[in-house]
Amino acid sequence: MKENVASTVVFILLLFLNTNLLNGQSPPGKPEIFKCRSPEKETFTCWWKPGADGGLPTNYTLTYHKEGETFTHECPDYKTSGPNSCYFNKKHTSIWTIYIITVNATNQMGSSSSDPRYVDVTYIVEPDPPVNLTLELKQPEDRKPYLWIKWFPPTLVDVRSGWLTLQYEIRLKPEKAAEWETHFAGQQTQFKILSLYPGQKYLVQVHCKPDHGFWSEWSPESSIPIPNDFSMTDATVWIFVAVLSAVICLIMVWAVALKGYSMVTCILPPVPGPKIKGFDTHLLEKGKSEELLSALGCQDFPPTSDCEDLLVEFLEVDDSGDQQLVPAHSKEHPGQSVKPTHSDPDSDSGRGSCDSPSLLSEKCDEPRANPSKFHTPEGLEKAEKPETNVTQPQGPQSTSVEGKIPSFHASGSQSSTWPLLQPPSLHYSRSSYHSVAEVRKLGLGTAGAASTLLDKTDTRALKPSQTIETGGEGKAAEHRESESFRSKTDQDAARLLPQDKTPLTSAKPLEYVEIHKVSKDGALALLPKQNENSSRAEKTSTPETSKEYSKVSRVMDSDILVLVQDRRAQNLAPFEEPAKEAPPSLPQNPAAVDLASFPVAPSNCRLQLGGLDYLHPTGFMHPFQ
Amino acid sequence: MDNKGSSQKAGSLLLLLLLVSNLLLCKSVASLPICPSGAVNCQVSLRDLFDRAVILSHYIHNLSSEMFNEFDKRYAQGRGFITKAINSCHTSSLSTPEDKEQAQQVHHEVLLSMILGVLRSWNDPLYHLVTEVRGMQEAPDAILSRAIEIEEQNKRLLEGMEKIVGQVHPGVKENEVYSVWSGLPSLQMADEDTRLFAFYNLLHCLRRDSHKIDSYLKLLKCRIVYDSNC
Repeated sequence: MKENVASTVVFILLLFLNTNLLNGQSPPGKPEIFKCRSPEKETFTCWWKPGADGGLPTNYTLTYHKEGETFTHECPDYKTSGPNSCYFNKKHTSIWTIYIITVNATNQMGSSSSDPRYVDVTYIVEPDPPVNLTLELKQPEDRKPYLWIKWFPPTLVDVRSGWLTLQYEIRLKPEKAAEWETHFAGQQTQFKILSLYPGQKYLVQVHCKPDHGFWSEWSPESSIPIPNDFSMTDATVWIFVAVLSAVICLIMVWAVALKGYSMVTCILPPVPGPKIKGFDTHLLEKGKSEELLSALGCQDFPPTSDCEDLLVEFLEVDDSGDQQLVPAHSKEHPGQSVKPTHSDPDSDSGRGSCDSPSLLSEKCDEPRANPSKFHTPEGLEKAEKPETNVTQPQGPQSTSVEGKIPSFHASGSQSSTWPLLQPPSLHYSRSSYHSVAEVRKLGLGTAGAASTLLDKTDTRALKPSQTIETGGEGKAAEHRESESFRSKTDQDAARLLPQDKTPLTSAKPLEYVEIHKVSKDGALALLPKQNENSSRAEKTSTPETSKEYSKVSRVMDSDILVLVQDRRAQNLAPFEEPAKEAPPSLPQNPAAVDLASFPVAPSNCRLQLGGLDYLHPTGFMHPFQ
Repeated sequence: MDNKGSSQKAGSLLLLLLLVSNLLLCKSVASLPICPSGAVNCQVSLRDLFDRAVILSHYIHNLSSEMFNEFDKRYAQGRGFITKAINSCHTSSLSTPEDKEQAQQVHHEVLLSMILGVLRSWNDPLYHLVTEVRGMQEAPDAILSRAIEIEEQNKRLLEGMEKIVGQVHPGVKENEVYSVWSGLPSLQMADEDTRLFAFYNLLHCLRRDSHKIDSYLKLLKCRIVYDSNC
């Protein structure tokens, strides 16, 4: 029985439910209060979200009761804050009191209630945004221009009585910028912006926060265009000036650092070191006399009957005015005294080194035995630039000439350049110096000038030795050089060479002289070297008997410089104009000073003998000190 | 027992107040030495006193709020404490204004005394709060440090308020009214749930009362110092 009743009831209920379901109607879903907010801590509003309405018109009611009370109230105002809201006005709002609020949804089918929400107005304060945001560009005369932003607190908030204390924050950005620049303004209702980009339109917003509450929404944007003539701040100008001057200082320091060396050398030029080209000092140091002497062209050593003693005396030219030649000692003549000079005993006495710039460039690694070196006065050393020219490869021979010319000219009152050996190599060019002007021209000219010179020299081939007349400088003849002045072509050299050779073959045995001294004007005073003893004895005490070989008659292909006597200049006193004698006449005692062997010039052996050959003293100063 | 304790406390506080009043009376009304004894020329203006009091009350409420949030996040999740923490603050017996209008209608002297009453009501609970939080297992440093700080600052605020009272209406004999707190046994309960609720409730009430004091003081400051034109 009971079971029948129960089952019947269940059946009916299910039927009823089915009917309802078939109709699509159901009690409303559970609503939810999702937000409650107070704009000024005097009123508040709660909003709810309705649940499913169940297909039927649903009625929502909000009920609440307060802490400490038992009485349940209903929402006093459903309208003011919009749909699904309840607005509690001042009368119904108590601070520091918990409200327990519930929303009921009712429809025909039933009702449902939301979960109670516990609300304390104290902690739900969120004001409206500030109002009346104004922007003003101010450009006072004696102060920096700025943007003045002003606003007012939201209308509902009572700040005057101190019921709420607001703090503000503004943000601004140029119209096209991506990010806002935010500034905290504290409790003040105005703000000044100093750093602005001219020519752009700025957008500004402000919002506020109560002392214990939430930030409001941002106010609507206010915009202001900044004019283009909005001046830069003084700081910017000064920073610009400072940066510019720092850059200029850095550039100057850099320029000084780069050019410092050349400036210093301009002011204090380095002392040139005389060098004898073609003389391999290394050989001398090693003491390989045979190689040295063979390089010098001596066939045998110790000298045989025919071979005179190699007058391998190393001369040290002292530019201090002492024209005494210091005969350097070869290994075979250790006893020969070395005339003291001003030079320092150390190797690099300021006369330059193998690596110092000189007209001779000894970049050759081939051993060259050249016991005799002729030092040139230091005044000749202005060869930095010529040096570089000299060291060029064979092709621009003219440039080597050019290189030498300026230095040649630049030589002081000291003796002029020694036209030393003419290299047998066909690759070396020599220049004949006729005058300073010509020399200069040569120096500055191009290859064409060199060829011009060649022509000149050729025409004067038969002239007596010509001297370079530079300010009274006497000099050795180099007329011979004109003969063998090399053009750029080797043919010319080849043509000239046989001429040189023939005299050689027919020449009587060479007489080796000892270089006694170098006169002021660059003339070499040579002593005939009959034998060792005599040469020693006659070193400086018999100037009157010395034959002075101050002219180069020719250069033999074996790198031997054939010197001729300058009969006019018998004294060792400063020379006058050396005689211009017929160059072709062979002197009685041609003195041949075989300078360093001049290897056929590979490019790395840059011996450019433009008639200015300098033996480097430093290499052989070592063994003799 | 409680009555004896409270009466003893009231008596001691009354004595203190008498002393203060005597000191004030001994001086001239024009120059009220608010500064510590010995400094005759020291005089702090009412504005500075109120500014300092407002700063302190603001700070205390911030600390209380943080402490409550920390505790709520850590211990009270899902326990439904809020439903039980209704009408359970011991200071509710002190009738204080519940909204702005009521507060504005209260005379400033009365309001000042109310503030003092609330402040005094919290001396004891704060002291025990610190003790009990220290004794909690895994005593959270965030809560403990704040509790210690609040206790310290509360004392300072009390002193400041008393100075203000001395300046605003000196010589008035004040009724020492404050609420007695009796929640200590709950804090020491063995049952964790009960104990945690006791803490929760205490912190909840502290947060509320500190906000109340802060609001009243700001109202008073604007009213007294700035003539209702903040």
